[in-house]
Amino acid sequence: MKPGTMQWIGRKLSRRNFVAGAGTAAGALILGCGGSSPASSGTSPTSPTSPTLSDGDYLNYALNLEYLEAEFYLRAATGSGLGSADTGNATSKTSGGTQVPGLTMVQSEYIYEIAQNELDHVRFLRSALSSSAVPAPAIELMNSFNALASAAGLGSSFNPFSSYSNFLIGAFIFEDVGVTAYHGAAKLLTNKTNLTAAAEIHAVEAYHAASIRSQIVLAGSALISTANAVENVRSMLGGGNETTLSATGIVAADPTNSIGFERTTDQVLHIVYGTGNGAGVKGGTFFPSGMNGNISVTTS
Amino acid sequence: MANLDTQQLDEVIASGRRRMLALGGAALAGFAISSVAKAQTTTLTDTDYLNFALNLEYLEANFYTLAASGQTIDQMGISLTGTGTQGTVTVKGAGPAACKVPFANSLVQSYAMEIAQEERNHVSFLRGALGTSAVAQPAIDLVNSFNGLAGLLGLGLSSFDPFANDINFLLGSYIFEDVGVTAYTGAAPLLTSTTNLDAAAGIQGVEAYHAGLVRTVIYGLDQSATTLGPAGTASAVASAISKLRATVDGSSSISSTRLQGDDIGLGTQTVMLNSSSGMTASTLVNATTTGSINAAGSTGTAGSMVFSRSASEVLAIVYAGGSGMGGFFPAGLNGNVK
Repeated sequence: MKPGTMQWIGRKLSRRNFVAGAGTAAGALILGCGGSSPASSGTSPTSPTSPTLSDGDYLNYALNLEYLEAEFYLRAATGSGLGSADTGNATSKTSGGTQVPGLTMVQSEYIYEIAQNELDHVRFLRSALSSSAVPAPAIELMNSFNALASAAGLGSSFNPFSSYSNFLIGAFIFEDVGVTAYHGAAKLLTNKTNLTAAAEIHAVEAYHAASIRSQIVLAGSALISTANAVENVRSMLGGGNETTLSATGIVAADPTNSIGFERTTDQVLHIVYGTGNGAGVKGGTFFPSGMNGNISVTTS
Repeated sequence: MANLDTQQLDEVIASGRRRMLALGGAALAGFAISSVAKAQTTTLTDTDYLNFALNLEYLEANFYTLAASGQTIDQMGISLTGTGTQGTVTVKGAGPAACKVPFANSLVQSYAMEIAQEERNHVSFLRGALGTSAVAQPAIDLVNSFNGLAGLLGLGLSSFDPFANDINFLLGSYIFEDVGVTAYTGAAPLLTSTTNLDAAAGIQGVEAYHAGLVRTVIYGLDQSATTLGPAGTASAVASAISKLRATVDGSSSISSTRLQGDDIGLGTQTVMLNSSSGMTASTLVNATTTGSINAAGSTGTAGSMVFSRSASEVLAIVYAGGSGMGGFFPAGLNGNVK
């Protein structure tokens, strides 16, 4: 995030909502890198209010999220991210992310497993979408976490690649969001084969989320507090849909009926773009230039 | 574009399934084949599938509530009435209170409390959604069922008490959670109401959270050399459970090149990630493992997605291979899926 490009991109309403919840730390998160840029010029997005999104649009929306997760986990696991064959880009558009040092054997097994899962999801979606697959958009894995940390009141910087504990917090940010995104999209898919595939990936993200959440709980109260500070930010950006993490709060679900949470595409975009409520947000934080495809600009 | 997209996805998945069928071995039990074929000729409604789910939730809710609190769900105020034949829960000889696990690990106890509450909530939610169409709780057996399954694991176990201690409780949970995930995954595309689909997806996700939790805890405890004596580590028992499920469900997916069929045990797998050399990864997620199949940069097919089971495949597991009844449901399920 270069100082010269910093600008407020939240609308007045969203800023009010956000600040009301997060206090003075909120400003840092709303500082996006892509406020004045159009959503990626690599594709031809239609109007964000387009009433008819196709299955392909939702699968590409999922693909963007999988690119983000795969880059995060692959870099944590190996120090390098997706290759050009898996992104559709000649050169990587991802910045940040280094191999997590000092792992025990079991910790490395865990990271490798999730990295392989997310890589497989990228490959599956790209294969399924074929020539309709969007290339990976610009992904930012350093300033994004710093901004989130500021918003969560955790200090001005946070490096999820510096230790396994920090990695768990980084992973925590993504997994529950992935679960809610797939759940929200499932009922919008018109083709049953696509629905089955989405349900099958949805559950994998939930396995991941539970594993990460239980490891954080096992690590003790300090890490639990950190996770819940992050969760507060996610809750404010993403329309609630969160369960406070604890030894009896591993599952993220509605406490009244224990049905897993879901999020609209707008709620998910607000989280990964790091901005509050409101239409017209085109990018920021993890996706400085926005996602690629027809679901890239918030409509509410 | 949508049509093209979906056709392409159809083709990818269809080709993956064809390949799985081609790889399928001959380790099929006759009862499972016949029950699978029967289900395909039946027209079932959303209500039927939700009642199918309710039967499974009765089972899970009772198991966890007994483990956490020493009570059956009716003792916690949940009504068991409905269509079909109402049954009781077979518990340990000394009664429900004797089923409360003497937890040594407070975290495991917390997990039991949470999952128990969530499974009871699922029972209440489904009963509410189904209204007067809800099935009654069928007869449930939580003693002979586990003993019978233990004998089928091939580990020299002749009995198994899931309420005896932390590890046994976790292994009992392991038996249920992955099955719940595959059952909801299989049912989701069959539901016609968007509202029902949305709820089913939400419950599917929660079952996957449970499964991920249970698998992570078992694997983690094994790192401190927790064993079950001659039966080996808890992970080894879990893997035997997975293998048994994959065999009993008749999915025809166990073969020499796909040893674990449609159910992945707890252990390690070789993944390639973005390099050319293999790396050892865990199997905390019960999903198709293509890590050792997909080369870097390849256009993989259906990798790292959870398995899906038909209602008949799920029934074969919860009936422990029995036809129409047995295992956890000695009198069968209530409702039209049984």
